[in-house]
Amino acid sequence: MNPLDNQLDRLFRAAAPLAMNPVPPYGLETRVLAAWREAGTPGLWNMGVLVRGLLFALLIMGLSLWPALSQKSTPEADYLQLADSSLQVDTNP
Amino acid sequence: MKRPEDCPSMTDAEVNDRLERGRKGDEQAVLELFHYMYPHVAKLVYANLPPKEQAEDLIQKACVKVITHLHQFSGKVPFLHWVSRIAVNTCLNQIRHEKHRPELRLADLSEEEASVVEHLATATDELDASDRVAASELVEKLLQGLRPNDRLLMRLMYLEGHGVAEISGLTGWSGTTIKVRAFRARAQMRKRYAMLMKENL
Repeated sequence: MNPLDNQLDRLFRAAAPLAMNPVPPYGLETRVLAAWREAGTPGLWNMGVLVRGLLFALLIMGLSLWPALSQKSTPEADYLQLADSSLQVDTNP
Repeated sequence: MKRPEDCPSMTDAEVNDRLERGRKGDEQAVLELFHYMYPHVAKLVYANLPPKEQAEDLIQKACVKVITHLHQFSGKVPFLHWVSRIAVNTCLNQIRHEKHRPELRLADLSEEEASVVEHLATATDELDASDRVAASELVEKLLQGLRPNDRLLMRLMYLEGHGVAEISGLTGWSGTTIKVRAFRARAQMRKRYAMLMKENL
């Protein structure tokens, strides 16, 4: 064996890393988890869509019902409703 | 409940269980996988990227890549092999732009490193445990003269003691590529080391 090779081998053997179990530095675990949450997983994403869809549907329902629910029963309102219904009766043969 | 820090090693079945649960959004499973793979990622990155500040950023990058792409792991190779490939590619992408490979002179060595060189040249016994740090630093300087892929290969083969088959699993390189690359890289290291020896005489 080339004597230089022998010396290199001895150098490598001396430099071989000691067995170690490095510990993550402070904050790395949090940052990795944050990135994972942001990327989302299929399960979580579906749940989010479901909840958002439900909320949106409730909002639309609420907005469409609001005029009817907010209309107070007054003599004027009743009179107008009566006029409306009589017009409809007249126009329909 | 087991703390993630208590899970340094896992069986294949445990890894598969954490993978399945992690894909479904189980945070605890993801944490355990992170703590399981962290030592492997850190070892690879620190070994291939000496500046500590860059190393920590790259470790984070590699870990995030693994954790956010669990759904892409097919299971055809062991989980740690897949993790190692991601870590290796993350490092190589970072250091690929390096073109400058500095010459190494005896004057560039510290007193301890120069003493190691002298000992290697004049004695035949193994280096002392007290020379370990200097030997490690000297190897780093010799490795700096190599291309990134070759540097990685030398570390895996000579510092970590992996065989050709294992290196192939970690890097995805073929056995032939590894042998040819190792032969050339070793020759380059020998050449750099020979220049130091020449100056030492």
